[in-house]
Amino acid sequence: MDFRGAQRERILALLAERGGATEGNVRAISAETGVAEADIWGAGHFYGLLRQDGPKTLVCDGLTCMALGAEDRKAALLAAGHDCAPSSCLGLCDVAPAAIGPDLAPLAADDRPCHLSPNDPELPINLSGPRSAAYAAFARAKDLGPDAVIAEVAASGLQGRGGAGFAAHIKWTGVRGQADPVRYVVCNADEGEPGTFKDREVIRQQPEKLVEGLAIAAWAVGARDIYIYLRAEFERERRILVDAIAKATAGPLGGYVFHMVRGHGAYICGEETALLESMEGKRGMPRLKPPFPTERGFRGKPTLIHNVETLACVPDIILRGGERFRALGRKEAGAKLYCISGHVARPGIYELPLGVTLDELVAAAGGYVGTPLVFSPGGASSGFLPMSERGRPLDFGSLAAVGSMLGSAGAVVLNDTADLAQAVVWQLHFFEHESCGQCAPCRIGTRWIHGAMRHYLHSGDPAALGDVADVAWEMAEGSICGLGQIAALPLTSAVQHFPERFGPRPAAQE
Amino acid sequence: MTNSIPEIEDCDLLFVIGSNTTEAHPVIAMAMKKALHKGAKLIVADPRAIWLTHHADLHIQHRPGSDVWLVNAMMHVVLNEGLHDQAYIDAHCENFEALAATVADYAPEMAEAVTGVPAAQIRQAARMYATTKKAGIFYTLGITEHTHGTDNVYCLADLVAITGHLGVRSAGLNPLRGQNNVQGAGDLGAHPDNLPGVQKVADPVARERYEKLWGVPLPTKQGLTLTQMMTAVEHGAVHGLFVMGEDIVVSEPNAAQLEAALNRIEFLVVQEIFPSETMRFAHVVFPAGCFAEKDGTFTNTDRRVQRVRGAVQAPGQARPDWQILVDLMRACGYPTPAYQNPGEIWAEMSAVSPRFVGISHERLDRDGGIQWPCPTPDHPGTPTLHVDRPMRGKVLLRGVAYRPPVEPTDDAYPLVLSTGRVLYHYNAANQTTREKGAALKVPNNFLEMHRYDAKRLGVKDGERVRVISRRGAIEVAAMVSPRMKPGLVWMPLHNFGDTENRVNLLTIDQGDPVTGTPEYKVCAVRVERVG
Amino acid sequence: MSDSFDIVLNGERHRARTGETVLRVAQRAGVHIPTLCNDDRLDAAGCCRACLVEIDGQRRLQPSCAWKAAPGQVVHTESPKVRRHRELLVSLYMADHKLGPDGLPLHTTQGNELRAWAEATPHKKLTQVHAPRAARGPDANPYVAYDPALCILCAKCTRYCDEIEAVNAIALSGRGSETTIATAGTRGLLDTTCELCGGCIDVCPTGAMHAKQAPRFLAKAVFEKVRTTCNYCGVGCQIDLNVHQGKVVQVTAPPPGETVNDGNLCVKGRFAYEFIHHQDRLTTPLVRRADGQLHPATWQEALDTAAKGLLRVKDKHGPDALGFVSSSRCTNEENYLVQKLARAAFGTNNVHQCAAT
Repeated sequence: MDFRGAQRERILALLAERGGATEGNVRAISAETGVAEADIWGAGHFYGLLRQDGPKTLVCDGLTCMALGAEDRKAALLAAGHDCAPSSCLGLCDVAPAAIGPDLAPLAADDRPCHLSPNDPELPINLSGPRSAAYAAFARAKDLGPDAVIAEVAASGLQGRGGAGFAAHIKWTGVRGQADPVRYVVCNADEGEPGTFKDREVIRQQPEKLVEGLAIAAWAVGARDIYIYLRAEFERERRILVDAIAKATAGPLGGYVFHMVRGHGAYICGEETALLESMEGKRGMPRLKPPFPTERGFRGKPTLIHNVETLACVPDIILRGGERFRALGRKEAGAKLYCISGHVARPGIYELPLGVTLDELVAAAGGYVGTPLVFSPGGASSGFLPMSERGRPLDFGSLAAVGSMLGSAGAVVLNDTADLAQAVVWQLHFFEHESCGQCAPCRIGTRWIHGAMRHYLHSGDPAALGDVADVAWEMAEGSICGLGQIAALPLTSAVQHFPERFGPRPAAQE
Repeated sequence: MTNSIPEIEDCDLLFVIGSNTTEAHPVIAMAMKKALHKGAKLIVADPRAIWLTHHADLHIQHRPGSDVWLVNAMMHVVLNEGLHDQAYIDAHCENFEALAATVADYAPEMAEAVTGVPAAQIRQAARMYATTKKAGIFYTLGITEHTHGTDNVYCLADLVAITGHLGVRSAGLNPLRGQNNVQGAGDLGAHPDNLPGVQKVADPVARERYEKLWGVPLPTKQGLTLTQMMTAVEHGAVHGLFVMGEDIVVSEPNAAQLEAALNRIEFLVVQEIFPSETMRFAHVVFPAGCFAEKDGTFTNTDRRVQRVRGAVQAPGQARPDWQILVDLMRACGYPTPAYQNPGEIWAEMSAVSPRFVGISHERLDRDGGIQWPCPTPDHPGTPTLHVDRPMRGKVLLRGVAYRPPVEPTDDAYPLVLSTGRVLYHYNAANQTTREKGAALKVPNNFLEMHRYDAKRLGVKDGERVRVISRRGAIEVAAMVSPRMKPGLVWMPLHNFGDTENRVNLLTIDQGDPVTGTPEYKVCAVRVERVG
Repeated sequence: MSDSFDIVLNGERHRARTGETVLRVAQRAGVHIPTLCNDDRLDAAGCCRACLVEIDGQRRLQPSCAWKAAPGQVVHTESPKVRRHRELLVSLYMADHKLGPDGLPLHTTQGNELRAWAEATPHKKLTQVHAPRAARGPDANPYVAYDPALCILCAKCTRYCDEIEAVNAIALSGRGSETTIATAGTRGLLDTTCELCGGCIDVCPTGAMHAKQAPRFLAKAVFEKVRTTCNYCGVGCQIDLNVHQGKVVQVTAPPPGETVNDGNLCVKGRFAYEFIHHQDRLTTPLVRRADGQLHPATWQEALDTAAKGLLRVKDKHGPDALGFVSSSRCTNEENYLVQKLARAAFGTNNVHQCAAT
């Protein structure tokens, strides 16, 4: 890495430390780092937490929170003297409607334990189980050798649990096979998909499993430096991780250097190449692929990048074997952390065989509340499905077959008290707000389609939605990254499954 | 330039010495920055932290006038560490042993006393340069505007040759010409020693060609350089001057003495586009057309002959210079042809100039710029010189010994004054002071100095100071700047319309013994607070 | 490994070189692919999406400006899917662009590539999105202006400012539909690292970045571009003088790849042309009369006076009592004439120019 890049990597953290991308901060940091002021300004103003004028109480406007009364919550907070600003999903869907204080910690009222699967030693991650810092899997990985470790991961059938479901071992093999001796391992802990809060719980409950998974991955692909990109709102989780890492590197993982990188409030940085850009101190705009990160990733070097949950599965795969892990799933491999929130009795995280149905998942969460109307199986990006799909396996292939996706497995259920069209607007608002703005189909399309839907709600005239299919098609086909490609899905899927709810309706009252 | 501008972006190393490229040659700097974007390394050697140093991997901040010491020390490292290209030296160089003997005395450890540069930096620069094949050296006035300017150039040429960087694409030795047609003016014979077409007055064959062409015997007596001419005016040896497109009162050094002499001159003709300081002494003034109002050619710094095309009419009765010159020659009784257009003038010259024979206005209109030498009409021109072997057969290595600048600092004049260009202005600034942007960016003259010197003199940023040399004194605003080294002060060379306070009232008129170029880069001054 | 190979473009085989993009191969083959964000001087951004093509074996449309050609690759640039994409993309762009009375993107003096594309492509009229794209604050710089209503965020200006001019005075700022081209603190360009090279104007495909002092909406027919050589430093940049009604109203750079400056110019070459038509220009010959003052004269009088004066010095002191100062600012032909004047007409080698560099 050259001296220019090293300085550039510092700027976002410096802005965060000093309270955001104000003109004075930008000027001072430019003088310190030699990075041009406009680049610091432009990068800073990409991130929600850096461009706001001072820390505020953030009220979540994610789907679950909005459906469960975020507007009332905000009114109450304002009345209580809070300086409030809206925020995209805070990853606190289990306590919806959620808010966090200016210190980025959950408000006291929201600070209660998450419902989890009961302790079961058979589960790979076993969130309720005892923590262990033995790092036995890492020791076993060293005995096996890198090729055998990767073979074990291949045998496990482990798919990336961040959303894409891509076979993990292919990335490992790809990085390991690069000629460049400098490689990196990056953990994507920028959890932000509305309805998703599983990575948060992995870090809270089983940080050692993540740390160990990272070390095994680094050892297998020949990396020394490990980066964890953690969303800013996970401040408590950061402290837990830092503590676990300190103990691990003082002991069995002494050969590795862990680096914590903070997110700054941009959903798109959960996209792996946007995340790498952000780590390099830039605007979180996804890169063109190819080249893929396995070939040219962080600092242009081969990079293995995985979601928290994916990495946390690795110790179990190494200790108890890939075949055993694979057998835990149904049509697809392994156990899976499912998030469930919305109109259910015990919103939380349940580690179940990959491919359970919604009904099975909700049964684990204590059952539906009211009469379920619609669900979103994998976060905002998965659109909406009708309850007729409640028996469909929640796995990557089965959901893709109906134009949806498992994504990050952040399932949200809405009952018949919800206004579906209004729920669609919340999701479209989210995508317009979180579009990086780089490519026209997404930048213009998310705004256009959000505007069309608002116009429809306002006027009650379905003609407002006349061009939606065309615009959605172009967003899906023309956008650079997954965000734009699926950003119309909340609307198009709702219209597909509930056409009767998008006919003429009364104009909104002013 | 031995190489071409389009080759720059493919350099793997740029060694920029005595060139504030971003300000003086911005578009070449863009090519350099593109090379950096593609991964090239950059060494900048300049007493000031010029803008280019923001991008530099290594900035060598040597004392003004210590270039020979610096480059000799680099060669010392190259030879000591065996980084030289022995095969190239054996095949193409002469006098290597003498060079080696000279630079043996220039150990980097001893360089610091003269240059102010740590030995480690010199070693690093030498290694980076010698071990990179596509490594280009770029220089401008920081090398040439010295009484030992020729020595500086020889020294760099030696470095290029012994490391085998001559005749290699994206390498070579590349002087960046400061004015649009300084290359062409010399090529076309506006030089006491040269006839048009890069031919020597001393060469009887060339002289005969022109005697035949012009129908008159040609003078063989050694002519005067510009600096010598000005001295001759001052000493009463030259009594009449014709001055075209040059405000000599502003641009020549030691201006006070020159003004006094011009007051006494018998006859002075000035041909200009704007009123100038020199005009105050003229007997006749011809109003000329500017570049947008006439046809012709310019030759740029990489020997590229390119067309100039008139786009608009000259104002009032002003006429293109070439038409005025034809009429003047005929009025003086010399029957030069009545050319219809500058293409005919070019054709007259190129017919007897082997290096230009292949270039014509018609061809330039068809193909765009052509780099000389271009010996035939189907020759593509020559982007890189010395490719197979040095043009003159062998490179004569010089092995130059260091000489200090002519005016050392002392107790009375303790600071070194150096001058140079700013981006927004151009030379005498007759044109650019009439531009809105330049006026907003850099409205006035200034003296740039280190905060240490400013503090010692009790001067604050923006305060008026008096700058005094052995030749004159002027008043300007101080600019306290992190770009300077203590002991060094700097001023723009431009005239900001403030004739009383122009920098050349301070500078020395002693020039390089070979080129006559004055030592604008080093003179001794002292600075005082005003009031 | 061979360094060239065939790819199939719309059913025809075309030669490609290793490392070349599909766009480059298509351009050489005369196959038109629309682009808005491509510039061969800049790293491929692939962000305008205009150049997407269908490549066999790829599930998604791919940006031809960044996609490397490979042996045997089969590329479709006019398939129904590509055409539908282009029609809808241009429609979306138009929903985010200031339209003229004819319903098309505004024509500007420097052109508007989006307009040209819209004219050539069937499109639908979508509701305008009115993106909250911020303009710059008050900006005293006399040269460069930014009009967000015409901006398509191709980022050519910011990438040029970063990769070529490397002053990074402007950058993308904001996010999503708020994305804009900003300076730090949205300050005027004079208060930034901007060197006023104006490259952002030349690379702008739509006229959003424009020259403040030039007329903005001239039809192509009413001005003429005259290619000439810049009169400032020794780089020899080729420039196009844009002439309207007998005046130079703007200077633009020739297209990249054609000339020594590769489409680049600096502040002087691009903007410092006001002097051409400045009121201070000398417009009449002057002769010093008996009162010791310079007075307007005819050319005949001025030429005669000059000739007599110079000849008198020669007669009195000999040819070497004359000095001829030529100019590196003037043309080759004029320098030739000055030295001819010195040597042939007066018989002296006392001719020189300011040859410091």
